[in-house]
Formats: sequence, structure tokens, C-alpha cells
Amino acid sequence: MSNNYFNTLPLREQLEQLAKCRFMSMDEFSDGVEALKGKKLVVIGCGAQGLNQGLNLRDSGLDVSYTLRAEAIAEKRQSWKNATENGFVVGTYEELIPTADVVLNLTPDKQHTPVVEAVMPLMKEGACLSYSHGFNIVEEGMQIRDDLTVIMVAPKCPGSEVRAEYVRGFGVPTLIAVHEDNDPKGEGLALAKAYAVGTGGHKAGVLMSSFIAEVKSDLMGEQTILCGMLQTGSLLCFDKMVEEGIDAGYASKLIQFGWETITEALKYGGVTNMLDRLSNPAKIKAFDLSEELKVIMRPLYNKHQDDIIDGTFSRVMMEDWANDDKNLLGWRAETAETPFEKTPAGDVEISEQEFFDNGILMVAMVKAGVELAFETMTAAGIIAESAYYESLHETPLIANTIARKKLYEMNATISDTAEYGCYLYNHACLPLLTDFMKEIKTDVIGKGLESADTGVDNARLIEVNAALRSHPVEAIGSVLRGHMADMKKIV
Amino acid sequence: MNSIKIENYTAEFGESFILKNINWTLEPEQHWVITGTNGSGKSALSAILAGAGEKIEGTITGLPGHIEIVSFEAQAELIERELKKDDADIMDVISEGTPVREILEEGKAIYPEFDSKLLNELVAMFKLEHMLDRSFRKLSTGETRKIMLIRALANNPDMIILDEPFDGLDADSMQLLHNLLASKVDAISMVLVLNRFDEMPEFITHVAYTDKGELHHTVDINDKQAYDDLYQLLHLKTTDLSVPPTDESDRPPAINPEDPLVRLTDINVAYGDSKVIQGLNWSIKPGQHWQLSGPNGSGKTCLLNLITGDHPQCYTNNIFVFGMQRGNGETIWQIKQYIGYVSTALQWEYRVSISLRNVIISGFHDSIGMYTKSTDKQKEVADQWLDLLGMKDRANEPYNQLSFGDQRLLLIARAMVKHPTLLILDEPCLGLDDINRQLVLALIEKICASGDTTVLYVNHHAEDQISGIKEYKQLEKLSAE
Repeated sequence: MSNNYFNTLPLREQLEQLAKCRFMSMDEFSDGVEALKGKKLVVIGCGAQGLNQGLNLRDSGLDVSYTLRAEAIAEKRQSWKNATENGFVVGTYEELIPTADVVLNLTPDKQHTPVVEAVMPLMKEGACLSYSHGFNIVEEGMQIRDDLTVIMVAPKCPGSEVRAEYVRGFGVPTLIAVHEDNDPKGEGLALAKAYAVGTGGHKAGVLMSSFIAEVKSDLMGEQTILCGMLQTGSLLCFDKMVEEGIDAGYASKLIQFGWETITEALKYGGVTNMLDRLSNPAKIKAFDLSEELKVIMRPLYNKHQDDIIDGTFSRVMMEDWANDDKNLLGWRAETAETPFEKTPAGDVEISEQEFFDNGILMVAMVKAGVELAFETMTAAGIIAESAYYESLHETPLIANTIARKKLYEMNATISDTAEYGCYLYNHACLPLLTDFMKEIKTDVIGKGLESADTGVDNARLIEVNAALRSHPVEAIGSVLRGHMADMKKIV
Repeated sequence: MNSIKIENYTAEFGESFILKNINWTLEPEQHWVITGTNGSGKSALSAILAGAGEKIEGTITGLPGHIEIVSFEAQAELIERELKKDDADIMDVISEGTPVREILEEGKAIYPEFDSKLLNELVAMFKLEHMLDRSFRKLSTGETRKIMLIRALANNPDMIILDEPFDGLDADSMQLLHNLLASKVDAISMVLVLNRFDEMPEFITHVAYTDKGELHHTVDINDKQAYDDLYQLLHLKTTDLSVPPTDESDRPPAINPEDPLVRLTDINVAYGDSKVIQGLNWSIKPGQHWQLSGPNGSGKTCLLNLITGDHPQCYTNNIFVFGMQRGNGETIWQIKQYIGYVSTALQWEYRVSISLRNVIISGFHDSIGMYTKSTDKQKEVADQWLDLLGMKDRANEPYNQLSFGDQRLLLIARAMVKHPTLLILDEPCLGLDDINRQLVLALIEKICASGDTTVLYVNHHAEDQISGIKEYKQLEKLSAE
């Protein structure tokens, strides 16, 4: 059974690996795809990431084919259709893996162990194995043959966006890493960089990280602010509005599309800009609520981070894997039965500004979640760049999925690992906020502040603005968004 | 005054010009400008109100009793009359012809409403007192024009038709005339024929646009969008169009002129069991403009995407483009650098809030949006295109707030900006209103004629044919198997 790799490392090295994260400069990619030119790239799995990364790599002049399990080919499953209809060569592991110079493992986390165990013996001497998530290496302690190079290239967006941005002539922010225990020829970095160029990622910004930093920050972000907080927030806000007599259709719509709208402001200008969208009295209200929420929820964030760092989370989750996902499937079914999930968005017009004005509590929840996740990650030794990407940066992406089809869509889009963590968070957070929610009225969720008087105390406003702007997530955020804008040059 | 109704009216002007099937209603209180290119029939249209042209069919009803027309033709007629008078007067003295005063006062005997006071005022206003006793025949063109204007106004008609009234007037006189007309709008309906929109007086309420002897558009001046479109169309039609130069320092590698630009051999495309294209062969040689047509579902867009590299099955077919056999390590960006592309699908995908200028510049990079710095040269070229499109003053406006038609025009400029080796226009006029369609077609004709670009044009509509295209390829929908 698994052997947590991180826990085998001495503390000194754990800290060093956690702190790895560097924003790479564009001129580090001047070799383009050269390191992969003429090499044979074989992708395992043809889901959204597998297919779309493969399309990009091929359009960048690289030789890409797909390997699927024999059953998937024989039964002409969706993955087989995806690959063949796009004109790729498809073959079994036995047919293609021995010919591969680079094997791109783009299967779901859960399948990593059996997949890697199946392909490793077939791999050519000195070939490269690439991951897009380090769970298998870090949490399951998968041991890779010494002659193989192990790298990670992880576009920080859903597969469809990886493709769409490439076709536009751009790319998506991408994280790369080399597993130092498996870099026998010292070519890991060159391969990872060429891979990032092949998917267009270099145009949008590349973070050089480590397997460990990627896993520990990714798990933390997805469980807490990204999915957990949005799920808990959706359920609580909906129930409160209905309880206070607000039309259920309106409440459903305000939440379903509200997360997307308010986090759009977050994407452009951080927490500061998101709160700047509120009137002064509403901003102060949201600030106060979020301070309260942070005090209540901080122990929960700490617990999630601790369980992730020491491997408790992955151990417990893997027990559920072994138990045919009993918990996961049960929780998924429970979510589908919640009133928010079952109430369709009403046919009412809600203006962009109204989502802010009537969703003060939602703004407060996003602020509290982003800041707590960031603070907890950096306190655990994860460097600010990683913590930013895994909290604030990805929140709008997840919010978009809720806008499409509510929590069902969110949980269907994210990995099973993220979904499992999301339910854990939700179960713990709901009771934690019971008392807090008792005090909540429609002025902060559903109707907006009643008073027409928008006057505020100067000193208090200055204090709140200063606190917002001086938070560390805002400092690193403005630097990284600046890099992005430099690269994007959308004038 | 009643409304004037012109219905299904066709009239001949001389042997060479026909005004066809005019339907036009002028309501009281409306003041019109008729515009169009030279020879489009705008003067003829105004003149039928004054009874000109030989009616072939149709009706005009509701004309007011007294219409005055001032035009080049009316001016020529008057001068002709004066010359004839001279001839008829067979005397051995040199005729001085009719003095200006007499010409001006001719209406006094005819029209009870004749306004002597106004006549005197106008003469004073245009400082023409000293010419009153001179022979009309001896006046300069500009002076003659002023006399005609004064005469028409002093006759105090119900309606006045002024064909290019500002032509040949100096700036001061033009201003005087503007003011004068403005002061008369309550009493007299005005119809002005103008070449240029910038001369349009403020009291104008409607604009009519003629093209090739037909009345194409009538636009309420308060319909901002329609007005802007018309402005652009006229701008494009009346500007001496030439395709702006490109940034020569940024050209893709030259390709062997002996090679076809595109060679498709035994192309097969299928989705699952359904075949879209089967066994197709096609070559496009440099300079050979093509029109591609076929019913929906016949694989037109699919075929284009095979050429541009946007269809994934381009890797499983025998495709040779711009000197590259597909599937040999080339990137799609190497292919796209030779292609300019416009389609409705592109327009749907091009949803960015960048400036109009940057939309055009993005054509240099084949990108949707701008991700690299633009050079001064690129900006200069883009600005020339904006000028051509009549959008010069809007360079920094956001693209996503433009009308559909303007976006389309801009995307055509984006496709052309690098003078691509192959310009692919996939139903460029789809979804465009009539005004914008004509605008686009005018632009494409210029591009076809310009030389270094080969055009591949996809279209359903026979009336949108482009002169310069000689090769046709027709796709048929494959029958279900």
C-alpha cells in the first residue's frame, strides 16, 4: 500500500520543497519546443486535459499519440472517440508505450497508481514520465524507475480553456516541476519547459515549483476556499434567504450567478477591488462580517492544512477509494438533494451591481476564505506565489462552474480528490457557522442595506481600506497580476 | 401640405440613365438629403420631384404646387435659354443678354407668393447689389449659382430642391446659405443633394441613399446606428480606395511560386460513421481567386478549416499548404502566417474588449486579442485601415461595443492587414444588413484587384458576386450512407 513520500523527508527538506515557487521570465523559454522536437509523445487518457493538451502539442509541431486501455479501445469508449475523431493514432499500452520518449500521464488522480504500475515496465530506458498533478508521487509515494525522468506540467485551468486560449494565440498560467529524485540526465527542466511552450503556457506565465508544493497547496486551496467555501456559502445563504421570505427563485439566481460576478471583480483587482464594488457602508459591513468569519473558521482551515501536510487527508480519502467511494458517492447524492440545488434560478433580472449590493455576505465569505486559505498555506511554509495561485487565482474559475449548473457542475468538473475534500470542509463548516447565521438578516444577503444614507465615519473607512490593501495576498496578487498583464498586453 | 408618395416609379433620363422602381414617401416637416456616389442617380431622384425624366411607369402623388429646383442642370438650362435668346435676336448689335435683376424678378409675375423684400435682403446679404444690372450670361459659375439660389428662395416655394448647393461657394457664402436655409425650414420643405456628409445642415431630418439608379436606403437622422453606417458606406464609396501597405519587415518566408498555395489530395473527413467530405481534390494556384459554394452541411467550413489547420483531421489527410506537407513538425502558427481569415465563427470567438486599433494589429499575430507589444509601423498601418473604414476617430474605442457590422468590417481589415498570401472569406456578408453588405463587398473588390493576395470566397448569395473571381467550386452534400 502507499507510502507517503513527503513524510519520508527530513523537515529541512520538507520546508525547502514547500517553499519552491518562482515566476519564470519569458526569455527562459527561448528554446521553444526544441527539447521535444522529433520525440515521440504518448498521452495516457483522453479526457478534457489529455485531449486538449495533445491538440496543442500537435499544433506546436510535436508528435503526439494516445494510449488507452485495451477495453477502452475495444469498446470504442468516449476517450477512444475523442482521440480518433481528432485524427490521432491510438494504441494499447503494449503497442505505444515502448516507443515513447515522453509518456504524459493525464488520467484522473485515482487511476495513477494502477496506470503507472502498468506502463512503467513498458517504458523505454531513459524515457520521461510526466504528470499534471503530483498526488501519486507525493501522497502515494509511487516509486519510479531510476532511469526515468519525472516531471510535472500543470496548466492551471480546465482542459477546454487550455485549448481555447492556445487557439486564440495565448495560453493559460502553468506550473512546472521536476521530481529531483528522478532526473538522471538532468534534462527534466528542459523537457518541462518545452512541454509548457507546446501547450502555449509560456505566453501566460509559468511557475517553477516542486511536486510537494504543488500537491500541498493544491489540496488546501480546492478543499477550502475554492470548492468548500463556495458550497457551504451557497447552502447557508440560500436557506437564510428563503427563511427570511425572499423568493426562492431570486435567492437561487443571486447565489448561482453571484459567485461568478463577484469573483470576476476579484480576478481583476483582488480582494480590494471586490470590496470596492460595494458602497462604503456595505464595504464596512462586509469587512466586519469577514473578520468575524475568519475568527470562527480559522481552526477549520488549520485542521485542513494540518491533515494535508501530515498525510491524514490523503490516507482517509484513499481508504474511501478502497471502499468503492462509499462516502464520496453518498455525499454527492446528499448535495443533489439540498434546497439550493433543487431550486432553479428564477426568471428575474439581476444587474451586475445588484449581485454585490444584495450579496454582501457572499463577498464577506469569499474574502474570509481567500485570506484564510492564503494565510494558512503561507504559515505552513508554502510560498506566497503558490498560495496565491491556489486560492485567489482559481476562485473565479470554480465560481464559473457554479454559474453553469450549480454545485453539481462544480463537483463534476473538479477532481474526485477536490470533491472529497470539499464535502469534508462543508460538513465541518456548516455547524461551525450555525450561530453566526442566526444573526444574519436580509440586509446582508438578499435585499441589501436598507438605509439610503451612505455616510460613513472617515476614520473607520480609512482603517478598513488600509486593512484590505495591506493584506499579503494583495501584495503578491498585484505583482503576479502585473506579470500576467505584461504578458497579456491586452490594452 | 400633404405627404408626397412616389410609388413603383421608373423614369428614363436621356438614353443612358434609368431611375428604377422608386418607392419613397416624403412627409411634411421632413427635410431630406439625397446622397450617393457619382452617377448613382441622386440628382435624377431629386429632379423627378420637379417633373424631370420620362416616366415609364409608377405614380407620384401629393406634390406641392410650387417647387423650385437649383441644380447644375437647371443652371445649364437657364444659360442655354439665354444663349438662345441671343441667337433669336438677330440684330447687328452685341446683345448684353438679360440683366441679373430681370432674372431675379422673373417670378414676380408668376407667383403671387413672390417675396420682393426677401429678394432685396438676400442680394444685400450676398453682396451682389453691384451685379444687378450686369448680364446674367457674363457671371461666373459661382455667381450664377448664388443668383439661382436667391431667385429660388425669393419665389417663395412650398418646396425647394438644391442639388449640390454648396458646390463652388466660398466658406463665407456657404455659411450664409446654411443660415439662410435654416431660417426657412418652417416655411419650405427642403430636399438637398449632397456628395459629402460634412456639409449636411442641422435641420435635415432624413437621408436617402441611391446606388446604380435605385433608391437603396432611407434613414432617419435620429437612428444613430443607421446613420453612422450610411456615413461609412458613403465614405467608402467616395474615397479613392486603395488597400493600405503592410509592414514589409514582417513577412513570412517566401514560397516557391511554382507550387500551388494549397493542394488537397483525396481528402476524407468523417465524424464517427458520417462522412462529410469524400475523395476531394483541389488546388489553389497563386493569383487564382476562387468562389466556393454549396448547401449547408456540404463541408465548406470543414474544408476551409483543413486549410487553416483548425480542423484536427488535417493531420490524417494529404494536405500541402504554403510549401509545407502537413504533419511534418510544422506548427499551426507557421501556416496561419500566410492566411487572413474572416468568418462568422471567428466573430463569435473574437470577444475581447481591446481597442479597434489593436483588433486590426492582432491580424499581424493571427491572435484573438493582443498578447505582444505592437510596433510603431503596425500602428501606422492599422490607422490607415481605420481611416479607410471611416473609423479613424474611434481607434481607441473598445471593439466589443461596436455594432455587428462594424465588427465584421474590422475583422476584414484584420484579415487583410498583413497582405496575406491567401485571404479566406467565409460568408463575409452573413448577418450583415444591406448597407454593411455593400460596404464589405466594395472592400473585397478592392482587395481582389490589388494583386498580391489570392482570395477564397465562400458564399451562398448570387447577388454578392465579386468581380475578379473566375474560379468556382461547388460542394455537394454527401448522401447519408
